[in-house]
Amino acid sequence: MTTLWDTTGSAVVKELAAQRRTGGAVLSGVALTLVVVADESRVAEAEEAATHAAESHPCRILVVVRRQLEAPAPRLDAEVLIGGRLGPGEAVVMRMYGRLGLHAESVVLPLLAADAPVVAWWHAAPPEKLATDALAVFAHRRITDSSIAEDPLAALRTRAADYAPGDTDLAWTRSTAWRSTLASTLDSVSGRRGEPVAVQGARVEGDAANPTAQLLAGWISSRCGCPVSVEDGGRKPNSSGVDSVALQLDQDEEVRIQADRRGGAVISQPNRPDATVALVDRPLGDLLSEELRRLDRDEPYSEALEAATGVSGLAGRSPEREHVWFDPADNGSSSRKRAAAKTADA
Amino acid sequence: MIPNPLRDPRDRRLPRVPEPCALVVFGITGDLARKKLLPAVYDLANRGLLPTNFALLGFARRDWEDQDFAELSREAARQHARTPWREEVWERLAGNVHFVQGSFDDDDAFDQLAATLQDLEGSHGIGGNAAFYLSIPPAMFPTVLKQMERTGMADSTPDRWRRVVVEKPFGEDLPSSRELNELVDSVFSAQDVFRIDHYLGKETVQNLLALRFANSLFEPIWNAQNVDSVQITMAEDVGIGGRAQFYEKTGAARDVLQNHLLQLLALTAMEEPVEFSAEEIRTEKLKVLRAVSLPDDLETFAIRGQYEQGWLAGQRANGYQQEEGVDPESTTETFAAVRLGVETRRWAGVPFYLRTGKRLPRRVTEIALVFKRAPHLPFADTDTEELGNNQLVVRVQPDEGVTLKFGSKVPGSVMEVRDVSMDFLYGEQFTEASPEAYERLLLDVLLGDATLFPRNAEVEASWAVIDPLEEFWAGTTPHPYRAGEWGPRAADEMLAAENRRWRRP
Repeated sequence: MTTLWDTTGSAVVKELAAQRRTGGAVLSGVALTLVVVADESRVAEAEEAATHAAESHPCRILVVVRRQLEAPAPRLDAEVLIGGRLGPGEAVVMRMYGRLGLHAESVVLPLLAADAPVVAWWHAAPPEKLATDALAVFAHRRITDSSIAEDPLAALRTRAADYAPGDTDLAWTRSTAWRSTLASTLDSVSGRRGEPVAVQGARVEGDAANPTAQLLAGWISSRCGCPVSVEDGGRKPNSSGVDSVALQLDQDEEVRIQADRRGGAVISQPNRPDATVALVDRPLGDLLSEELRRLDRDEPYSEALEAATGVSGLAGRSPEREHVWFDPADNGSSSRKRAAAKTADA
Repeated sequence: MIPNPLRDPRDRRLPRVPEPCALVVFGITGDLARKKLLPAVYDLANRGLLPTNFALLGFARRDWEDQDFAELSREAARQHARTPWREEVWERLAGNVHFVQGSFDDDDAFDQLAATLQDLEGSHGIGGNAAFYLSIPPAMFPTVLKQMERTGMADSTPDRWRRVVVEKPFGEDLPSSRELNELVDSVFSAQDVFRIDHYLGKETVQNLLALRFANSLFEPIWNAQNVDSVQITMAEDVGIGGRAQFYEKTGAARDVLQNHLLQLLALTAMEEPVEFSAEEIRTEKLKVLRAVSLPDDLETFAIRGQYEQGWLAGQRANGYQQEEGVDPESTTETFAAVRLGVETRRWAGVPFYLRTGKRLPRRVTEIALVFKRAPHLPFADTDTEELGNNQLVVRVQPDEGVTLKFGSKVPGSVMEVRDVSMDFLYGEQFTEASPEAYERLLLDVLLGDATLFPRNAEVEASWAVIDPLEEFWAGTTPHPYRAGEWGPRAADEMLAAENRRWRRP
């Protein structure tokens, strides 16, 4: 590991190349570059998750931390690691001070692995319009996390308004286990009946202010064509925000999945005894790893997002974004943090 | 599969989960069940890949209660599981674990097994679907299969499926394997029989198909015009362990060559399947296996060896004949190397060198395509002295990945060309991330996906290759080699006879 204080982008590129040469056994296969945009307070968390995800998806990790936008002199500090704290691959952690934070791409672009896809992940409140962050413009896939915004539902609506194919949100990823359990429960019902099942209505109970619960409801509604609402349940659910889901089926049947608060869920269905399945709260690294499995557009997400927020026409939008210059200083708001808080309010 | 409104082909986040079913394991107390099967079941549960209604049923002779069995399963799963241990996952699974005690010739025990299975249909909602895993010596197959036939456990109906999983060895020669196949097929229908070759469950083996058929780069040179020879190696550094009784009768050729190596050969040499489906892939593999030819001069091109005392990895290793339970005069081979041909337009004239052995310097399995040299080199002879053949190596284990070996200029003022290798380590190199072969194969059995399982015709075609070799070797003494060497000298001479040499993996 080498730390470069008050350095330049070219020096970082040189140092990375030098470490590759002297590092001995370096990971030579790189499937993608993962650009992580993190708040200083969340860097450690983001690093841990990125390291975990890199275990199954060999990638170059570039962590961008923007600090003190109002600092008078721009400055770049960088840590270059190969086979160190951030796993066996190549990683660069960059802290950008002052106005450099608005031009992070000038440091990041030369560090991208050649011709490999770029995934950008905001482990921070993302900009209201992703296109105002140049890092989002060249990323093939953009991962946000509405759940860390101050008002997650507003953040979800912002994501829908700003959506372009290739966007995804970890609030959506958190719903996978629920979706998978629901789908296999319906398999089980149709297997017993020997004929397809129709879903006529559904009820999601949990935390109505949780974007995952909203996306899950949106997904059921988009798949089954029936309105689905999230009702506040009495108990405090886990990070997915869902406590139980009940599906009303044709032939006057109902199936119900209830989280058991011990990393599992109980499935109740007609003519079958209750069954318990694993339904765990997955760590951030697992979620990120799932996102890196596929880099193409995620249609089921855009449909769920449409249904959850009422914004339509998401799938038809262009996947290309054009950079929009945005200077938080112009808005009379001097700190980036406040700009981010505004995002959540929008 | 019946259409499900929540399933969307574009939604590839949702895993494939089998229908409600039971897994019945015969010989649950055995080594394989404890080290591979039970951990694989736990790992599948932990990854959320088991159906909502699932039951695991163990059958063995021991006098156990459900709790004893659950305790043993827990220990086994905990010790060998790949994924992190989560007590709550196991607890949920343990509620679905049952044990039936009995011996294989005991009618009552099987009646009880059938009754237990029937009970589970209701109490666990498994819907009558069941997979039977025969983790037992092949000698007991007939007894168990007849019992299953008698109790009607083996019948698939439109409402339910019943599948059987058979482990290698699939017989010991062509007639015995045919007999076994007929027996299994008479009880289960052919599409319900899953023969496990755990090598085919490995990520790299499946990647070989992607490498060949998803790229435009390799297929045009994947033929006799460009390939000089193919070397397939499966080396183990261990000895026979405690399996003397089994190994004495089997030997390296039957144990490894007949199944793993010939399957790897088939995947390497096969034509492009019409589509990526079990039926089409098996069809293409079968064509290759039927086209395999043996050399005329077996004396030179079919070598077997047996390890003697030696040093391996800094430790003294006993010779095979000194291993516990082995006849001191034993002529069982622990090493086999053979030159095969594939009589098709694509491969005519290209030798396929296969070798396998125990107590070789390291554990490695790889497929190496050695390319022909460039027809003309515009350099001075001295410039290219160190240039070898280009090679494409698929590393099956360990360090799963692909290596490309080609010539490159040595930096400096003179023109010198030497071999360099370019490595691709697949992301799944980190073993904890890559599913165990058994995990994948077990899931495929429960899903009914037979892509990675050889069909009985393939097994028979493989025996048709091995039988003449065994016949030739019968009554001969294997060439000795020291433990810790890359096999007997005769194996090196086999390649030297054609001006080639083994790649050191």
